[in-house]
Amino acid sequence: MSIQDFIAVLPLVALATAAVMIMLAITFYRSHLLTLAITLAGLAAAVALLPLAARQTPRQVTALLTIDGYALFFTGVILAATFAVAIFSYVYLRRRTGQHDELYLLLLLAALGAAVLAASSHFASLFLGLELLSSSLFVLIAYPRGRINIEAGIKYLILASVSTAFLLFGMALIYDQTGTMEFGRLAVIAGNTDGAGLLTAGLGLLAVGLGFKLALVPFHMWTPDVYQGAPAPITAFVATVSKVGVFALALRFFSEVGIHPHAHLFLLFTLIAVASMLGGNLLALLQNNVKRMLAYSSIAHLGYLLVAFLASGPLAVTAVAFYLSAYTATTLGAFGVIAVAPGHSGAEAETLQHYRGLFWRRPWLAAVFAAMLFSLAGIPLTAGFIGKFYLLDAGVGSSLWLLVFSLVAGSGISLYYYLRLVVVMYMRPHREGAREGADAFPWTGSLTLTLLMGVIFWLGVYPAPFIDMIERTARLK
Amino acid sequence: MLRFLFLIPFFPFAGFAALTLGGRRLGRHAAAVGAGSVGLSALASLALAAGFLISPPPGYVYTQSLWTWMKVGGFSPGISLYLDALSLVMVLVVSVVSFLIHVYSGGFMSRGEGRRFFAYMNLFVGFMLTLVLAGNLVLLYLGWEGVGLCSYLLIGFWYRDAANGRAARKAFIVTRVGDTSMAIALFLLFAKLGTLEIQPLLKLAASHWQAGSGLAVAASLLLLGGALGKSAQLPLQTWLPDAMAGPTPVSALIHAATMVTAGVYLIARTNVLFSLAPQVRLLVAIIGAATLLLAGFSALTQRDIKRVLAYSTISQIGYMFLALGVGAWSAAIFHFMTHAFFKALLFLAAGVVIKGLAEEHDMFRMGGLRRQLPLAFWTFLAGAASLSALPLVTAGFYSKDLILWDAWSSASGSHWLWAAGLAGAFLTSIYTFRMVFLIFFGASRSRVGSRPGFIMQAPLVVLAALSLVGGFIEAPGAPFLSGFLHHALPVFQQAGGSAAVEFAFALISAAASLAGIYLAYHLFLRRPARAAALAASSSGRLLHRWWYSGWGFDWFYDRVFVMPYAWLARVSKSDPLDLIFAGASRLAAGAGRLFGRTQTGRTRWYAAGIAAGAIVVLALAVNW
Repeated sequence: MSIQDFIAVLPLVALATAAVMIMLAITFYRSHLLTLAITLAGLAAAVALLPLAARQTPRQVTALLTIDGYALFFTGVILAATFAVAIFSYVYLRRRTGQHDELYLLLLLAALGAAVLAASSHFASLFLGLELLSSSLFVLIAYPRGRINIEAGIKYLILASVSTAFLLFGMALIYDQTGTMEFGRLAVIAGNTDGAGLLTAGLGLLAVGLGFKLALVPFHMWTPDVYQGAPAPITAFVATVSKVGVFALALRFFSEVGIHPHAHLFLLFTLIAVASMLGGNLLALLQNNVKRMLAYSSIAHLGYLLVAFLASGPLAVTAVAFYLSAYTATTLGAFGVIAVAPGHSGAEAETLQHYRGLFWRRPWLAAVFAAMLFSLAGIPLTAGFIGKFYLLDAGVGSSLWLLVFSLVAGSGISLYYYLRLVVVMYMRPHREGAREGADAFPWTGSLTLTLLMGVIFWLGVYPAPFIDMIERTARLK
Repeated sequence: MLRFLFLIPFFPFAGFAALTLGGRRLGRHAAAVGAGSVGLSALASLALAAGFLISPPPGYVYTQSLWTWMKVGGFSPGISLYLDALSLVMVLVVSVVSFLIHVYSGGFMSRGEGRRFFAYMNLFVGFMLTLVLAGNLVLLYLGWEGVGLCSYLLIGFWYRDAANGRAARKAFIVTRVGDTSMAIALFLLFAKLGTLEIQPLLKLAASHWQAGSGLAVAASLLLLGGALGKSAQLPLQTWLPDAMAGPTPVSALIHAATMVTAGVYLIARTNVLFSLAPQVRLLVAIIGAATLLLAGFSALTQRDIKRVLAYSTISQIGYMFLALGVGAWSAAIFHFMTHAFFKALLFLAAGVVIKGLAEEHDMFRMGGLRRQLPLAFWTFLAGAASLSALPLVTAGFYSKDLILWDAWSSASGSHWLWAAGLAGAFLTSIYTFRMVFLIFFGASRSRVGSRPGFIMQAPLVVLAALSLVGGFIEAPGAPFLSGFLHHALPVFQQAGGSAAVEFAFALISAAASLAGIYLAYHLFLRRPARAAALAASSSGRLLHRWWYSGWGFDWFYDRVFVMPYAWLARVSKSDPLDLIFAGASRLAAGAGRLFGRTQTGRTRWYAAGIAAGAIVVLALAVNW
């Protein structure tokens, strides 16, 4: 490993170092604020090291990791999202008793796992990253150790293990057929064999494992239970960081191997995408629990992303990168509002009823939430609109009409439940003057939410520089 | 210097943002923030105009590209501002008049409602400036819709009265008819010419389309539809009299001085398209002439002071359309400018009267206010003189006389158009001085409750001065304004007529104006009984009712459009066609419920789901 290799992976090293420092700090002195500070400093350092690493790109660091613009771009998204999650966690945990420090440690490790996934070019690093991410998540989901948290954690543990079994078996079949675990060489050999049954089966099983992590229909059923059971900031993390990491990996892997030569695989992904777009939105339609609703809606959003995933061409990667970034900022904002919104005596504000008349109690919070919902629905002047526009453009450009139609139909359905929540927030509250849980939250929370809203509008009104950056960096060969 | 162009629309938007987000403490200084932001904008445009005149940019055009909204295929609408002689004049008038009206509003509006009021007003000014500075039709359309929205918000500003809400909705819906036509025009232009950047588009149209070709006619007709809606011309004029439900400064700013002239600006801006379609241009002139006459007659019969002014606005914009139709582009812009001054002045002075008499709008219950409100009287008189084109000393005379002369002498003009304009001028001075005599002369019928403070008086004085001397910018023999505007607008094509003939025509229009004033004096001050008898005769009663109701357009539209539509909506409330949509939503809800059944919460069921999915995947992958 040369010095250039080392510089290229420095952002990952910074994350790991921060995790170790927290561990050491806890042994000497437990302080919530100190732990948060180390976490944020570690994340900031990792972000600051990205340009440095970018000078070494593209670079193959051992057989395991490819550090290129693509990996670094998604690492940046992961780091920024983790930063926001850490702040929301602080706001969230401050209201609750107990030891909070380990959460940040696990958060950093999970982010490290996601970043490894984004850079991974080998089955070994894929598995390592995925397990680093999942194992941290088991604990994070159950962190407050309430009944519902533990139930969600155990469900995730069991189902993730099941899916990992499929994933591993798929890898084994592919290895059996090609004799290699490196994506690049594997793709060459797979291209020469004429879509042999076992190879396709292996790819299919791999898709099952990744589909579970991305919560695509029909591997989605864990999503609402886990999203609801996890503490809101961790839900935000599951919905964003873990999705970004896995999706970046899936896009890299399948664009190297190529889906288009494998007609069945293409059909399979098309079916999954259509089922996710329609199923996710239909499930969200009648949901009264806001966290579950957002869980279903995230299924649909990942389905939308598959449209660009299946479209070929350079526009596809741009569309995916933009949409994932927009989706991340928006989802963080939405769950951030849930994390800081006042609920009943320590519980989270989960149901629609909690949000009734929020505008009249917390106008700013309601405005931020409304902006996030508009962006999720894809209303113009928000990031969601531009993102969806790019997806549609990529889909139309590749003539994927069934997918494009499902995207439009799904978006139409989704308007109902997004706008319903907005309407509820602006209704007059039931009892005038009944101020529930009016405890203030620290300015850091409001500032983060405001910044996220700024990002949403910035990407919606003036996306050109960001798209330029994506086109310059996030490219696959 | 010119690179600060973006500041002009930026200040009002910033003012809007500050007033909306600024919280209560800022709300107490709403008037200062609102007027201040527009004042900065006016200062910026004055400075910019000075810079533009002292060292003109190459070709008298300055373009500022701020950013590109998005780039997809061939469609890349830029957020770009375009400053030439035409938009400079528009910006100057809009920002200066807006500033004066904002100052006045500081005294007019009560404290409690100031924040919302000034936020809307600033938003309006921002959108209006965006509209006139837009370098492409997409941005122009944003400003166009933005001012429409603000107009709706401000007409219904006192929303607790349901009638105001109705008026606001009417204005919004009627102008929407025009907006739809304009949107289709944009689609057509983009589909056929591939760009919406105004200048390249006009160049392409001029080189690709034959004069009088079907596409040019269609495009300019559709654009005209948009202009008719916004500028309240036949047949979409019905919304403007009702729009007077808004606070008086709103009427002055939006429904007299600025927004309603957006249609004039649009046609002037896209004059190339209209020159390619001579038939449509003739139509513009005819609509203008018809509108100015119809609205003039209606103004003659109104009792509500603001409704007289509203009909007068429709009529004066008719003059501008007439000028556009005969190719007198700069005459139209000149009349826009003088009209902005004197009509804003008339509204603001009327506002003083209305406020002074505790929201009294009926002119027949006023009278003799000359002594009680001297400043309002003198400034109103200046505005009225300018509106009725009192010769030599008023700005309105120069602009209206120019339009009349151009209508006669233009290569595409006609004697009929001139005659209509002349009759309109005669009508104008009758109804204008009818107002003056009814309100300020005669027996005093009411006591003035409140008098305007300095903050309301100062704008009146400034506008009165502008209404009187503003015409010298285009005095005969020294046509400074049209000389400047010719950098942006085509030169007026004169067919004939010498200076002597022109002088004779000026005498005729001066005579028409004076005769109208005398008739008003005779009928409404000296022998009011005769006017009453005239109106009471059987044919007089009929005409009076017909004109009073705005020629029955509302009645007609109600029966032809509104009632059938409402009926159709009522009877088709549960028609089979609805079943498709209701069915779709029911289907979605049913499917949602069905899928919801799968969410049992049982881990073993979920795991089974994954396994089943995997089996399907394997089956697909292996057995195809």
